[in-house]
Amino acid sequence: MLSYLLKRLFWMVPLLVGISLISFLIMHLAPGDITSTEAGFNPKTSEESRQKLREMYNLDKPVVVQYGLWLKRISKLDFGHSFASHQKPVFWEEKDKDGNISKGMIQEALPITLLINVLSLILIIAIALPLGVISALTQNKLPDRAITIFVFIGFAIPGFWLALMLMYWTGVSHHWLPISGLHSLGSDKLPWVSQVIDTLHHLTLPILISGLTGLAGISLFVRNGMLDVLHQDYITTARAKGLPENTVVYKHALRNALLPLITIFGLSIPGLIGGSVIAESIFAIPGMGKLFYDAVLMRDFPVIMGILTIGSALTLLGNLLADLAYAWADPRVRKGVSS
Amino acid sequence: MFNCKQYQSQSFKHIAYSSLAGLLIIMTLSACDQKQSTDHIDYNPTAPIEKGGTMIDALSGEPSGLIAMIAGESSASAIASNIFNSLLKYDKNLELTGELAQNWEISPDQRTITFHLKPNLKWADGEPLTSNDVMFTWQTVTNDNTRTPYGADYKLVIKAETPDKNTFRVTYAQPYAPALDSWSGLHILPKHLLQNQDINTSSFARNPVGSHYYKLDQWKSGESISLSRNENATQGQANIDRLVSRIIPDRAAQFLELMADNIDSMSLNSIQYARIFPARPDLNEKFSLYKELGNSYTYLGFNLKHKPFDDIRVRKAINYAIDKQEIIDGVLLGLGLPVASPYKPGTRWSNPKLKPYAYNPQKAIELLKAAGFEDHDGDGILDKDGKPLAFEILTNQNKEREMSAVLIQRRLKEIGIDVKIRVVEWATFISRFIKTGDFNVVLLGWGLGVEPDQYNIWHSSQQAPGQFNFIGYQNKKVDYLLEKGRLELNPDKRMKIYHDFAEILLEDSPIVYLYAGYGLPTMHKRIKGIDNPAPPAGIGHNSYEWYIPKPYRRNEMSAN
Repeated sequence: MLSYLLKRLFWMVPLLVGISLISFLIMHLAPGDITSTEAGFNPKTSEESRQKLREMYNLDKPVVVQYGLWLKRISKLDFGHSFASHQKPVFWEEKDKDGNISKGMIQEALPITLLINVLSLILIIAIALPLGVISALTQNKLPDRAITIFVFIGFAIPGFWLALMLMYWTGVSHHWLPISGLHSLGSDKLPWVSQVIDTLHHLTLPILISGLTGLAGISLFVRNGMLDVLHQDYITTARAKGLPENTVVYKHALRNALLPLITIFGLSIPGLIGGSVIAESIFAIPGMGKLFYDAVLMRDFPVIMGILTIGSALTLLGNLLADLAYAWADPRVRKGVSS
Repeated sequence: MFNCKQYQSQSFKHIAYSSLAGLLIIMTLSACDQKQSTDHIDYNPTAPIEKGGTMIDALSGEPSGLIAMIAGESSASAIASNIFNSLLKYDKNLELTGELAQNWEISPDQRTITFHLKPNLKWADGEPLTSNDVMFTWQTVTNDNTRTPYGADYKLVIKAETPDKNTFRVTYAQPYAPALDSWSGLHILPKHLLQNQDINTSSFARNPVGSHYYKLDQWKSGESISLSRNENATQGQANIDRLVSRIIPDRAAQFLELMADNIDSMSLNSIQYARIFPARPDLNEKFSLYKELGNSYTYLGFNLKHKPFDDIRVRKAINYAIDKQEIIDGVLLGLGLPVASPYKPGTRWSNPKLKPYAYNPQKAIELLKAAGFEDHDGDGILDKDGKPLAFEILTNQNKEREMSAVLIQRRLKEIGIDVKIRVVEWATFISRFIKTGDFNVVLLGWGLGVEPDQYNIWHSSQQAPGQFNFIGYQNKKVDYLLEKGRLELNPDKRMKIYHDFAEILLEDSPIVYLYAGYGLPTMHKRIKGIDNPAPPAGIGHNSYEWYIPKPYRRNEMSAN
């Protein structure tokens, strides 16, 4: 088991280098660099000063050389500094000689996105699990149909439109919830309990909306998994030996139906650090989606590469965790590994 | 059969469970219902000037830092211009006047400018602000290690001196008229805080100390920037105590926040201004609308190096064939002006004699015929030497520009020109098409300068890749006038030069002026003292005189 784990971890390194190389090359295929986006079209700027900037950022060197420089830095876990955002560190905070701390861009954006995504994942599971089970148990009957239609509406509805409508309804017409942002102005003077409640108020709509749009996937997975399992022989056996229906459904069927979900959760780990640009823009949430999108538009290469690298590392890690969780949950897989 | 029933009862339990969950959500929702205190206050009556209060506005983007020469974005200068002073500024009629400088003298040979600072200037931290700070700022912006694209204007200074602590003198190799404008755009930085720092990475950018009406109070990354009144302000005391700028990227969300009375001002788009506001009396009770001349114009520019745009008759024909008023009415809902020169209508640089090309398709067809374009093969498209008159209008992702392009496409189709539209992302647009000169026609915008010098845009020497005369305009007379205009510091003589320049430019038609849109700010009526109608400089010119009478102020905590 341990050697398997080490082998997997070892193979992640060349994989990561490969991913980063491809990302780096693709990023440079897009025309333009920071000097064409930052004040690039202001007649008060001059081509000489832009060329000077290009040299300072090493953008005048061949792409392969630039990649080498990047790889050298990253091997020391140095993600570099943003071109566009006044040389802010990309990943983690740094202290200058006077003791002033400048926070890292990912360090600031990641906790917010993570909080929203974890909360909405919890919401999705809390709703999708019972919905999926009900659907399976009432297959092709009214509750099943109603649930399927509901989750598909949630899946198909344009999130930004629903967001704006709900913002108008709960924020402008009724003043139930704040419209955008993460904190009320002046909320930092409140006691911490009120601050937490204030933030939760601000997060209600974003979480609700990302939850609603994500409901379809999980609930249909649960439904199909349940249906598969319910038709298995051992369920018939369980019923035949007179077990109560609750035990049959929850102890025997559901537990097996949940196995494929492990893969989905493993795959959703990298998704947890990626935010939705549209939702973050509408709700004015300074999260990862907006950070990445702005970096792409500004051709802020260190930030793009920083987010891509962390994202791909987490994807690989997520896959590994999913495999391990499988082995833990399913004896068939575990045996397969050891033999 | 029995099993089936059991299934059903089971499922009812589940339905009960999930509806309970739904109920819980609704209950939490209504638990947040906070009583609104807007019990119909009438904001219309004026009240005497009172100091204090908070004004909240919205920013679409977060500044990267507050040192404007390095940050570069508009959001950075919007905030930084409340914190930092320049030597000079533009007054409400867009004439230069002193800010930190009490007055300035130009030597008889027009090469030396001497600025006399106002006495006893102070930084927000109480340190004296002297000519040494100005000198330090100039050295910083011209230093090769400073990551600024704006150094060019200041590098023309061959000698800078500080004869005493209130005098700053710069000498140019030859007279340079845009110099005064350049000194109105350079925020003076404090030497005592920055002299041993690397300006590119200094934390000063997020923790600045300036000399203007406000100082930075709190910067919540990605959320808001709060400024508070600077007790040591060099320009007197502003009335409003605190300015808060919330960062809300989405315009629709900004508008919702405005409707919910959580922000006091935003700049509207034409639909919000011309359609939503008139239909909503409740909004008009709370908000005043303003209309100010925008700072840019939109144009259709020809690549003069490509055929057939080297032929003035073709350019003029296209100019005549485009109905500018239709674009203003259709795209801007009437909230724009046609322009005939690259200067703000109503300011001294704009030549009042010039009129835009009228919409005249007949004349366009005649001009094209004279240039050899006729529909020989009867396919509805004009052609010459077997080649159809067809081209692509290239523009960036900007709704107004895209819609204008569609209207132009239709009008040109009517006279037999086949137009395609291509919309690309900004960075691609610049590097792939503009820089390489690989385009036929672009739909873009330029600033309506308060400084009339447009040497970088129109002089024939400015055509190298990365320079701004990318349409390849060449006219000896224009070159001469642009050179002369740079050497002349006397405003009246300069005016004459630029009036002549704009006249030739209009006649040559290297670009089709489409429109200059209005800026459409709206302000909550609790804020008093705003000029209406807006002067040429816009409503913001006297923001320090604005005030919020006590009864109209929002309860600080209810502002969510």
